[in-house]
Amino acid sequence: MSQGAGTLSAETGLARRAFAICRKDAAVELRRRVAAASVLFFAAACLTLVSFAIGPFGLPAEGRDTVCSALLWIVLFFSAATGLPRAFVREEESGTALALRRVAPAAAVLAGKALFNSILFLAIAVLTVPAFALLLGWRIESPLALVAVLVLAGVGLSIVSTFLSALVARASQKSVLFVIVSFPLVAPLLLGAIAATVAASRGEIPWTTLRVLVAYDGAAACGAYLLASAAWDE
Amino acid sequence: MKFLKLLLLPGMAAMVASAFLWPAPAEGFLGESSRIVFFHVPCAWTATLAFLVAAGYSGAYLARGNPWHDDVAAAAVRLGVVFAVLALVTGSFFAKIMWGSYWNWDPRESSFLLLLFLYGAYLFLRSAIDDPTRRGRISAAYALFAGVLMPFLVFVAPRVTQSLHPQTVINPQGRILMDTPTKVVFFAGLAGFSAIFVWMLSLDARSSRLARLESA
Repeated sequence: MSQGAGTLSAETGLARRAFAICRKDAAVELRRRVAAASVLFFAAACLTLVSFAIGPFGLPAEGRDTVCSALLWIVLFFSAATGLPRAFVREEESGTALALRRVAPAAAVLAGKALFNSILFLAIAVLTVPAFALLLGWRIESPLALVAVLVLAGVGLSIVSTFLSALVARASQKSVLFVIVSFPLVAPLLLGAIAATVAASRGEIPWTTLRVLVAYDGAAACGAYLLASAAWDE
Repeated sequence: MKFLKLLLLPGMAAMVASAFLWPAPAEGFLGESSRIVFFHVPCAWTATLAFLVAAGYSGAYLARGNPWHDDVAAAAVRLGVVFAVLALVTGSFFAKIMWGSYWNWDPRESSFLLLLFLYGAYLFLRSAIDDPTRRGRISAAYALFAGVLMPFLVFVAPRVTQSLHPQTVINPQGRILMDTPTKVVFFAGLAGFSAIFVWMLSLDARSSRLARLESA
C-alpha cells in the first residue's frame, strides 16, 4: 500500500515539475518573445509569399485541396522549425542547463518543454490556418476533423522536436543539424497530416490516418520518456 | 569461422549464377526484370538488419557504457547506409524497366529514401560532437529513438497509401508467393548478404576500436 502511494506521489511529482517547467518557459517567452516572434514572423512571411504567388483564384478547382494542404503543412512545419528547437538550446546558451538538471529529472524537463512547444505550435496554427484559408479562398468542409489533425500532428511534432532539441543542444552547427536530424523523423507525421488535411477539406473524417497519428504520438512519447535521461543528463 | 568465410565466396558465386540461370522469370513482369528480386530485396533486408543491430548495440551502450558497443552501432549504421543505397539503386533500375522512369515517388521508394536520410543524419550527428562519451550517448539515444519511429516509415506509411511496388515477402496473405527455385535462390541471397554484412561489420568495428585505442 505504501509502495503504491509512493509511486503515485513520484508520478504526481513528475507531472507537477513538468507543469512548472512549462510555466517557466512560458514566463521566459512572454518576457523575451524570441521564439514566438521568430515563428510568427516566419509564418507571416511564408503566408505573404504563398498568397502573393497563388491568391484565391490561382489554383484550378481540381487538385486545389491537395496543393493547399501541402502548402499549409510546409508553412506550419518550417515556421515551427524556427521556434521549437530553442527549447534546450536556450538553456545551454543562457547557462541555465546545469541548474535545470539539478532541480528536475530529465523526463519532467522533456515533458514540460514538449507541453510548452505543443501550446506554441497550436497558437501558431490558430493564427496561421484561418489566415491561410482566407487568403487562398480555401474552404474546409470538415473543420473539426482539421482541428483533430492539427492537435495530433502538433503534439507529435512538438515531442519529436523537443527530444531532438535536447540531443543537438550540445553539438556544433545546432540549427543546421536540427533540420537534418528532424526531417526524416517527422516526415511520416507530415505526410499523414497532409493526407488527413486533404480528407478534412473534402468533408471526410480520415479515421485511419488519425489512428496512425495517435500511434505515432504514443510511440514518440514513450521513446522520448525512456531516452530522456540519455539525451539530457550529463 | 575462417572456413565459413572461405565458403562464402563459392556460395555467393553460385547464388549469383543461379539468380540468372535457374528460376524462370516471374509472370506479370517485363522480360527478365523480376530477377532483380534476388539482389534488391537482400540489400533492403540487410539495410534493415543493420539498423536493428545498431539499435540493439545502442541500447547495450546506454545500459553498460562499453565503447565497443558504440563502435559496433556506428559501424552497423555506416554499412546500413551502404546497403540502403544499393537497395535504392537496384530498385530504380526495376522502376525504369517496369514503370518507365528511375524515380516515381512511390510510397515505398520514398519511405526507403527517408530511411536513408534518417541514418545519414545519425552520421552527421556523430560528426558534430567531439567528446567521445557524449557522442556515444547522444548517438545511441538518437538511434534508439529512430528505431522506435522507423516502423512508421517502413511498414505503416507504404501500407496506408497506394503503391505500385510489387507485393512484398511480408504480405497481407501471410504467404511467400514464389515457386521453389525462386524461393531457394532468394533465401540463399538473404543468407549470403547477411553473412557479408556480419563479416564487414566485424572488420569495420574492429578498425574503429583500433583507431579509438590509438587516439586514447
